[in-house]
Amino acid sequence: MRLLTHNTMRNNSKEAKGMGFPFKITAAEVKVIDNPDAGATEERDIDFVKRMLPILEWTALVRAASECGISSLPHTLTTDLAESRPFLQALYHILMNVHLIKGMLTCPVTGREFPVTNGVPNMMLEEDECERVRL
Amino acid sequence: MSRPELTGHASNFYNEREARKYNSSSRMINVQREITLRAIELLLLPPDEASLVLDIGCGSGLSGEVLEEHGHVWVGCDVSRDMLQVAHERMEKSYKMKGDDDKTEAEIARMKYDDDDDSDDDDNNVCSTGDLMHHDMGTGLPFRPATFDACVSISALQWLCYSNSSAQIPKRRLIRFFSSLYSILKKSARAAVLISECATAVGFGGGIVVDYPNSAKAKKHYLVLSCDRVGGRGQVPGMTAAGAVADQKQSQVQVGKQRQEKDGRKARPIRKKKGVKTKEWIVHKKETQRKKGKEVRPDTKYTARRRPRKF
Repeated sequence: MRLLTHNTMRNNSKEAKGMGFPFKITAAEVKVIDNPDAGATEERDIDFVKRMLPILEWTALVRAASECGISSLPHTLTTDLAESRPFLQALYHILMNVHLIKGMLTCPVTGREFPVTNGVPNMMLEEDECERVRL
Repeated sequence: MSRPELTGHASNFYNEREARKYNSSSRMINVQREITLRAIELLLLPPDEASLVLDIGCGSGLSGEVLEEHGHVWVGCDVSRDMLQVAHERMEKSYKMKGDDDKTEAEIARMKYDDDDDSDDDDNNVCSTGDLMHHDMGTGLPFRPATFDACVSISALQWLCYSNSSAQIPKRRLIRFFSSLYSILKKSARAAVLISECATAVGFGGGIVVDYPNSAKAKKHYLVLSCDRVGGRGQVPGMTAAGAVADQKQSQVQVGKQRQEKDGRKARPIRKKKGVKTKEWIVHKKETQRKKGKEVRPDTKYTARRRPRKF
């Protein structure tokens, strides 16, 4: 599971009341795919990161990255940084190339745990955990 | 032949054996590919930008592969663990044995980039832009609001219409699915999914596009949903080679506006006079019907005017 995906996720169970993000990561195995020529990132990828910036929860990302053992992200995102190319390249690398292979995701509100195995998080909920729907 | 949906839960049907079979059938691959290409076309994504696309019911990642070729970043959800396993293996493998089938231009461009990476390290899925998640769509989608640019779902939604235990009520699952889908998509995003009453009830605009309407075998129904309330990107892209877009039902549901007026209405309910439909009542009724997307005659000076008395 990528950090990008982690940043978009939330617990949608009834108890979480829509506030179930960001998940706390307990990492058992993290795979960072090192790409030596990170400088050769395509223009398209940089554009993608730029478009993702407004969506990202920055504090959540910084925390998730540090939980995966990466502490190179600044604590606050300034507009200067958002324009600088090396920063965007590094951010692309963190968002796309850091994979959580094995571990646990914990909901900050309810404390429900979602296991991650083989890089795939198990987000299955039981029917009685789901949000009520009026028919 | 009975439909697979009737035999039980999707994760039971797509067990390990079935998943491998699905993934190795060249017919299945071609069918899935074709549908995905059409779905991407219906999504109207900007061609030169990478978008974040949600693939619901990604299965073995056949549709994800097509999204990748178009340079999009995708997140796939599926209820079958075995299918996800196959997808995982596929994503790792596909970059080792690439370069043997027909390629589109976008693919070649991406491949060039991919090759650079491969010369450095051989066996990782560095270039795959997909990510997988084990999840049941009937329980609502586990994402933050307004995150995805688009959503595709290729031959997966029919599973929602069947219940596999007494706790599962298909309509409830459908509504939960569509309302969560509505919230996670960005404004003016589109979803191409291959059921419609529940969708408009939660606020989507859009309609059903039928390709090849005259063929029993090739006929495909696409449900195209858009989040624009005013229908900015309302047009449906081109016809397919042999078939035409036959039925395009446009029904816009204006959510925000409706609510405001609802509040206003609560203060002063409009009652019709006993036995007589007043002009006020008729205009109000026409307005509500219009909001529901029905075809209503315009308001003129003749609206609710009484007919002349007979001789």
